[in-house]
Amino acid sequence: MSLKVTIKRWNAVARWTWGDHVDGDVCGICQMPFEGCPPGVKFPGDGAPVVWGKCAHAFHLQCISQWLTSKNSCPICRREWEFESSQGGPPVSFFLLFQPTTHSFR
Amino acid sequence: MSSAARRRLVRDFRRLQSDPPSGVTAAPLDSNILVWQAVIFGPDDTPWEGGTFKLELSFTEDYPNKAPSVRFVTRIFHPNIYNDGQICLDILQNQWSPIYDISAILTSIQSLLSDPNPASPANSEASRLYCENRREYNRRVREVVEQSWLDEEDTTPAAAPAP
Repeated sequence: MSLKVTIKRWNAVARWTWGDHVDGDVCGICQMPFEGCPPGVKFPGDGAPVVWGKCAHAFHLQCISQWLTSKNSCPICRREWEFESSQGGPPVSFFLLFQPTTHSFR
Repeated sequence: MSSAARRRLVRDFRRLQSDPPSGVTAAPLDSNILVWQAVIFGPDDTPWEGGTFKLELSFTEDYPNKAPSVRFVTRIFHPNIYNDGQICLDILQNQWSPIYDISAILTSIQSLLSDPNPASPANSEASRLYCENRREYNRRVREVVEQSWLDEEDTTPAAAPAP
């Protein structure tokens, strides 16, 4: 006797991060996850990019930009702030998981 | 309205509850999340031991890009604290950083109590006694520690009679 499985419906679920070394961390300024939204931003991702300084400290672009209007220093190490110039920073990790939610056996 | 400052203060509050620092407590007013009341307990094994010192923190909509204004409500005798309770502490002025939260502010003030900086005095008498007559300084500190217990029963500590 053979078991037949019919997948009736599946949902694709993607998980992404700005890179392994900030995965799961929060931005020190707004205390929101790097993958989340800083204040005033509706959508995570390109709407709230993470940027690195030459000192290797990372913040949401919106958060560090606001701080730099009052003082040009890294909030963590106090060194003069310079944006790390490599476009987009370190490579972004992206995972795609297939998650069947409904199935039947017959 | 849920501004950036208010959202940050809610996160500060959650953090205080989930990871409470030892010897300090704080909560916002029911009516205004920009105003907080805090208590710092005097560090053990110092003349401040046993003291319960009340503070008020006022935040602006610029928090965390601007430091809150912080003052002691309880009367204090300390080289870096003015008679009106204002605190002379670099991280609340030119060394402020937007990564500080309420927990960091209060633990810094707590360590300032037992580790004053007499080079930048806000109370010249306290500063002089700290440097020249530590015994008398400690006695004056014990006085404000005992006074802090009386304040606790009084809802308006500023109006408490001088000893």
